[in-house]
Amino acid sequence: MKKLFIFLSVLSLLIASDLDFNGALNTNYGDNKEFYYYTENRIDLNIFYKDFQGWVQYEYAHPPEIGFSINKIRKFRMEYAFEDFLVKVGDIYEFWGRGLVLNQFDDQITNYDNGLHGLYVGYSSGPLSLSHINGKANIWNLGNDLRIPAFKNKHNLTGLQAQYDWSMFSIGVTQLITEEDHQLQFGNQFADVHHTLNGIYSSMILGNADFFFEYVDKRATDNSISFAPVEKNGHGLYSNLNLYLGSWGLSTEYKRYAFDKAHSDLTADDYGNRIAFQTMPTLGKEHNSTLLGRVSHNYNFNDERGIQLELNGSILDKYAVSTQYSHLSRNENWQSLSQLEWAENPLESYLPSSDPSALPYWENYQEISGYTLGDNLFFKLGRGNNKQVFKTMRYFDGIQQDMSVEDNSFWDYDTTYDSTWAAYDIIIEIVDSTYMEIFDTTFSDPYNVEAKMWQELKSFTIPVELNYTFDNGYSLGIGFQYQERQKKNISKGNSIYYSVADSGWALINPENPDSSFYLEESQFAMDTIKINTQYNRMLYVTLSKAPKWSFTITHDWTNVFDGQATDDPFYNPLEALVYGDLKYFTGERDPRDPPPFIQKRWVSAELAYNLTSSQRISIMYGSIQGGLFCSNGICRVIAPFSDGIKVSYSAIF
Amino acid sequence: MKKCLFTFLIICKSFVLATDLDSGNTIPDLQLRLLDGDKASIHELVKDGPLMIDFWATWCKPCKKVMKFLDQYHQDYADRGFKVLMINQDTPRSLGKVKSYIRSQNHQFIVGLDPNQKIAQKLNGMVMPTLILVDKGGEIKWRHQGYIPGDEVEIEKQIKSLIDNYSFDS
Repeated sequence: MKKLFIFLSVLSLLIASDLDFNGALNTNYGDNKEFYYYTENRIDLNIFYKDFQGWVQYEYAHPPEIGFSINKIRKFRMEYAFEDFLVKVGDIYEFWGRGLVLNQFDDQITNYDNGLHGLYVGYSSGPLSLSHINGKANIWNLGNDLRIPAFKNKHNLTGLQAQYDWSMFSIGVTQLITEEDHQLQFGNQFADVHHTLNGIYSSMILGNADFFFEYVDKRATDNSISFAPVEKNGHGLYSNLNLYLGSWGLSTEYKRYAFDKAHSDLTADDYGNRIAFQTMPTLGKEHNSTLLGRVSHNYNFNDERGIQLELNGSILDKYAVSTQYSHLSRNENWQSLSQLEWAENPLESYLPSSDPSALPYWENYQEISGYTLGDNLFFKLGRGNNKQVFKTMRYFDGIQQDMSVEDNSFWDYDTTYDSTWAAYDIIIEIVDSTYMEIFDTTFSDPYNVEAKMWQELKSFTIPVELNYTFDNGYSLGIGFQYQERQKKNISKGNSIYYSVADSGWALINPENPDSSFYLEESQFAMDTIKINTQYNRMLYVTLSKAPKWSFTITHDWTNVFDGQATDDPFYNPLEALVYGDLKYFTGERDPRDPPPFIQKRWVSAELAYNLTSSQRISIMYGSIQGGLFCSNGICRVIAPFSDGIKVSYSAIF
Repeated sequence: MKKCLFTFLIICKSFVLATDLDSGNTIPDLQLRLLDGDKASIHELVKDGPLMIDFWATWCKPCKKVMKFLDQYHQDYADRGFKVLMINQDTPRSLGKVKSYIRSQNHQFIVGLDPNQKIAQKLNGMVMPTLILVDKGGEIKWRHQGYIPGDEVEIEKQIKSLIDNYSFDS
């Protein structure tokens, strides 16, 4: 409490002084029946005095929605500019090129903070700019618990950047060196890893085109065992070419990130690869539709290549149209040598592969939006397709020969007589026997073996939004999102398992190697009955009055769960009201035993009210379905929110 | 109890601040890179007249809705020295598409780039959209967070009020 009063007193002093300052406050509170409780209060304060700038962030969170409880100054930074120099001390967040070497940010929603406590020195004169950073960073990663970070990687980092700008051409070089204490998966063990990243980037801006290119070479040495250091090397490449013609713009991107590779997912024990400061372009569409956000691809910054094309334009000079396509894959195909052993085969071309063994991902999205009816009606209509091979369980395609072995071994006897004793008429018979080991090996005719099994995810989504603004300031908005999802295990070929005894793939029909099968099996199930397609729908209706308030009711429903069931175990009055279930209000329903028609449905209502133009309070009541949430290429699974209340307040001053 | 008191105190303090200090502070002279590759400073941009700053990203739905109106005001009041500066916060994930989007919409306002939110953090524009109206002298006259359809009426009212006062003063 003492800290708070000191902080508020400093604020009051600032107001009374001649210093220029601004600030922001964010307060969030949430509680629901699943014991999912949080309270977060965060104040940001910026102070400006001549050539000095200061920033301090105070946080009281007990507990926060994600992360550790905190009650202290979380971030601070002092900046001083003189002549051509800029010096910063405190929490440093920098960004070089497109982030292949360094891109620092503090994302509280996904709890990703790769900031640095240290020093920044920058020099900028005419076309030349130089910068140096130095300091320490503690970067936390989530483990199994979705709300409490589990792994800490400590970095002692130093970096240099130089950039030279001509009128339309820029070139920059970067170097980042860090000593990392990397926490391993089990126990409190750390690996001692030295990383060196050397990068180069350049850009060119022309009238009807612009181009960007960045390349980084990365070398890591694991010094955990001092007499036998282990090296891991990798590289990353990104390029972006934009072309413009009239009111149309085409954006093309290419990436190839190769810092590590493995058939299965990398764990905390796979280190020496891409580090947390490298947050690079993903080449996927960043959606603002909830259902499309839930089917986002989990990008692999260590081993992925791909292309993305996006065309933006306008029709009739008033409607915005956009169409996007991307295709990504791993940098190699993976072939099963046996049930557990996998071997990689690098892709021959520079482009992504469509072969399931390279875990390809495709995405395409089209959208049209704009204002009509005298600018009173806003509409947006989109459609999107996603398809990806999520994993391969077995993947062998090759030639095999069966080996037959016949044991023709025999004993060879050789009888001799010892002549030494012949004079005495004694004959000693000596039998010399030898085991003659002879195997006759025969091979069958070679035959093709195909033993493949992979998991494929597909989705098709249509987001629609309409919003009509009346002349008296009221507006009515309706949004609807529809999605079909499929999750299938696909098996094909003439073999389904590897025989360790025979050291080969066992045919399903040994008499006929040409006998093969193709099987698709849905992974959605309800009460042990397979469901082919998951249908997700979201409907929201908003009534608002500018500039004061808006009220939204959201209804989200599905027909089958993906994985573990997240049934809402409670039945609340809002759900009863939306479904017109009068029995709830006459006491004929048990709130802890929701009727079947409310299962797999989440209803929430939110009222947002602008106290002033710079202060906003919102209150939400109801249930929210959990699921994947992605931001900046980093995804996390959000826990469901069952029958609870969320209150948030934000102000800027 | 302690937590509630803490939250209550903070909200009270900030309510007082936000009510009293919606306007009055001077905007710092921050440097930023523009979409066309040039560099600019905020104080340079307010030399000729008032400036409306808005923080946005290509994936921000309400930001795109309000853009159309801001571009219109940028053109309508250009002869009075008024400008709109749209500070983009797209991360590397979508930074390559910003220019393509702006060109396709024929927007005339000034676009600045702030890919790791350095400017947004200093001006408290982390919530999108956030509008800050600055007068010719660099004094912040009005702040606004979020966009509700119909807010454009209030936005234009604030711009006109500032321009009219400025014309009257001069």
